[in-house]
Amino acid sequence: MNAPVDESYSQRLARRFSRDALALTGFWLIILAFVLAALAPFLANNHAIVRVADGQISFPVLRSLEPIEWRFLINVPLAGLIYALRRPLFRNPQRGGLIVAVVVIVVQIALAFVQPYNDVTNDRTRPATFKLMPLIAWSPLESSPDALVGPSWNHLCGTDSTGRDVAARILHGARTSLAIGFVSQVIALGVGVTFGALAGYYRRWVDMVICRFIEVMECFPSLLLILVIIGLSDSQNNMIVIMAVIGLTGWTGTARLVRGEFLRLGGQSFPQAAQALGAGDLRVILRHLLPNSLGPILVTATFGVASAILLESSLSFLGFGMQAPTPSWGDLISEGRRFIDFAWWLVFFPGVVMLVTIMSYNFVGEGLRDAVDPRLQVK
Amino acid sequence: MTTYILRRLLLVIPTLFGITLLTFLLIRLAPGNAALIKGQTGENGGHAMTAEVREQTIKLYGLDKDPLTAYGDWLVKLAHLDFGQSLVDHRPVLTKIRERIGLSVSLTGSALVLSYLIAVPVGIAAALRRGQRTDRMISFVVFLLYSIPTFVAALVLILLVAGGDYLNLLPMYGANSIDASEMSGPAWAWDRIKHMILPVICLTYGSLASISRYTRVSMLEVLGQDFLRTARAKGLSERRVIFSQALRNALIPIVTVFAMELPALIGGTIIVEEIFTLPGMGQLVFQSIEARDQFVIMGVVTISAFVTLFGYLMADILYVLVDPRIRFE
Amino acid sequence: MSAPLLRVENLGIEFGPADAPVKAVDGVSFAMAAGETLAVVGESGSGKSVTALALTRLLATPPARYVSGAIQFQGREVMTMPAPELRALRGKQIAYIFQEPSSSLNPVFTIGYQIREAIEQHRPEVRDVRGEIVRALDLVGIRDAATRLGDYPHQLSGGMQQRVMIAMALACQPNLLVADEPTTALDVTIQKQIMDLLRELKSKTNMAILLITHNFGLVSDFADRVVVMFRGKIVESGPTAEVLRHPQHPYTRALIECVPKLGQKQRRLKVIDYAGIN
Repeated sequence: MNAPVDESYSQRLARRFSRDALALTGFWLIILAFVLAALAPFLANNHAIVRVADGQISFPVLRSLEPIEWRFLINVPLAGLIYALRRPLFRNPQRGGLIVAVVVIVVQIALAFVQPYNDVTNDRTRPATFKLMPLIAWSPLESSPDALVGPSWNHLCGTDSTGRDVAARILHGARTSLAIGFVSQVIALGVGVTFGALAGYYRRWVDMVICRFIEVMECFPSLLLILVIIGLSDSQNNMIVIMAVIGLTGWTGTARLVRGEFLRLGGQSFPQAAQALGAGDLRVILRHLLPNSLGPILVTATFGVASAILLESSLSFLGFGMQAPTPSWGDLISEGRRFIDFAWWLVFFPGVVMLVTIMSYNFVGEGLRDAVDPRLQVK
Repeated sequence: MTTYILRRLLLVIPTLFGITLLTFLLIRLAPGNAALIKGQTGENGGHAMTAEVREQTIKLYGLDKDPLTAYGDWLVKLAHLDFGQSLVDHRPVLTKIRERIGLSVSLTGSALVLSYLIAVPVGIAAALRRGQRTDRMISFVVFLLYSIPTFVAALVLILLVAGGDYLNLLPMYGANSIDASEMSGPAWAWDRIKHMILPVICLTYGSLASISRYTRVSMLEVLGQDFLRTARAKGLSERRVIFSQALRNALIPIVTVFAMELPALIGGTIIVEEIFTLPGMGQLVFQSIEARDQFVIMGVVTISAFVTLFGYLMADILYVLVDPRIRFE
Repeated sequence: MSAPLLRVENLGIEFGPADAPVKAVDGVSFAMAAGETLAVVGESGSGKSVTALALTRLLATPPARYVSGAIQFQGREVMTMPAPELRALRGKQIAYIFQEPSSSLNPVFTIGYQIREAIEQHRPEVRDVRGEIVRALDLVGIRDAATRLGDYPHQLSGGMQQRVMIAMALACQPNLLVADEPTTALDVTIQKQIMDLLRELKSKTNMAILLITHNFGLVSDFADRVVVMFRGKIVESGPTAEVLRHPQHPYTRALIECVPKLGQKQRRLKVIDYAGIN
């Protein structure tokens, strides 16, 4: 093959992955979904982005942001900036560390003073000399007198039974759905990698016990287990609980995988070589064994996100979803199903968005698997 | 081979204990039960517990005893197949489950068989046309199906073929028509089949992705093996090389993945039975969760887990039986 | 010279992308007479195995591409042969044994079944197939052949597996046996047994043998003629004794020197010095 000889593992993965058109499309769609979700207040809001009135210019949209949104919108680009500037910054590690620490602390203190500004003014109807409204000029919780109206220029995806704009709700609901998929898999990954690494590294009785535990967990259907936990607990409708429960029931695949990889790699000589050089257990696990299993772990996690979003929608349908102010896509669909025979848009639009997202994750997972699995490579 | 199976059987014992322990902890540690001990009923429990029922609950789960003794007592009861009584209608849990398990098993079983019948040929076709348009199309379609939530598919199917709005081909809910008791044997069976078509479809389509992908990978691995070159060098036709030599090898891992589908299918029955109002285990457990009928919940959870474990066991034993490399060891 | 059994003319085979092809076999020509033993010697990657597989078009296309050449077996052109005829050629006229017996036998079929397949494919007239299988296994020196029929490949040792491969190849009495590195994957003592077996079979039948190997040591008292391949091309050919005694090409000399000789102390293993070749 005409592959560059000196490419790294991740470069090789990227090259193989990008040959897969479906996977690549899925990857960019997921990125797009995250960007849209992050920018939801700027895309669907009844506050104008820019407003000129009485000779004054103002940015009403900023007043609609919650403190947590401020934190997110400031901290994520900040982290990106620090990462982008890591080379010049850390040329002198002490000075770089100090600068980063000071900037981060100052920003966090400033953010702590942000107060929720409960602004109920509606720029859509408020007169102004000039105003730039978001693409969707409705807030997700705002009711209009037009209930159950089909898609139009005013309401791109129609309105629901209390006149709320479906497009705005989908956009804001993306945050809930994407967060559930992402956070629950981070939890699952953490638990799975820990158990898998312990079993695969220490073997013997540790392995024995953990394997039995994995098997026990795999005997319970996730949906049943989640329903029982949420149904019997009093902390229903809590996003954190749902994320945690989905994560805590979905880690066994990762654990099996990490265990298998560790057992396989443990037989090779380089962990021993590292140990011989005096590396501790944790160091061998983190620096030598885990990076080698990263590819397959990523694959299971990606598929896991897809199934977590699906699982959450099933919970919503069964009435055990969260009643957050901005509902997940699953909530939107199950809310809309009562009107399905005459208000198709209530199920159709959130359904399509969820479908595309889940498929994107699945195709990314599939593309990653093909890229990771050496047995499946064309010779 | 015998030692292998024996060892596998021995490993079931700790898992069985694990299942019972986890179920026990789940119920005992549930905040609703913590409240019960303190004499409160759950805030959103819905129904107020009578003092008698509360006493009975506390006694059955040994909430007044220390956890270890309580667990031991519960195990002894389980060993006698005593799952307690429903809090809702005071009938034994086992009787309730027995009435309903048949429907759920036939639902799950049909879905499993159907998904194999569809997914295995599809997976083989994808492997044989690897990287070509057929492969990509299959991959796209099975993942599209996998990505549709069961309840959405069920709603759309009902709307299209059972609602009467468009087509009225199939019944919309129930395991039988109302007048089924007056039907003759074949008519009854046909009535039941018509009621099962949509639920089975809804349970099946989601498993197509995993089984067909698994078949594809298994087949691709075999297609790269040296012994197929030997078979071709012998002058066997390509058809024979693939459908006799390669397929036999590729199917070995596939016949055993059915067990891995079981948890998802059992979870699926909860949704499907809820939507189509089918009186199966899924509906039972869902209603029990809503009513906080803990005895029934524990019974269904334990039995579901046992069934799945039995599935894993069968899969492992089947593997030994179909793979000569393990069979003669 | 009468019409040869096999004639290969200007064979060219490529792999990889069309714009940057890798020439695995580049203009190879040779011929074999009936009953003759020819050895193709070269290191891995020299194109010798690719040539061997190409004789019955066993290479998968893609990734391989036949870009030039003609292969004539008993006067018939293999390159343009339709599939049914090609299948009749494979196994019946030209049979193969491969390098790795453990992966060349299908693990889920008994050895008896795998030999039976060959016989049923090419010799439908045989009525006592079982007897024929036993005879084939007897021929390659497997004792208790009748009871080993039901064994699966993994129940046999590597040497036994290779004997089964040979039995399978001989079951249809081919005119040409292609032995592609038949002993490379085996222990040294087993290697010798298998080579002795091939030698014995050669004298018993009038079968031509094409031996593919990287080991000149196997060639000296086995092959009538030798062809040396290097980077897809034939660099030298001739009667075995002559090539061994007066190697013309530096690569051939290097290969010959790589064979450790008994009774001769060697300070270090010889390594081929590629800079000196070409």
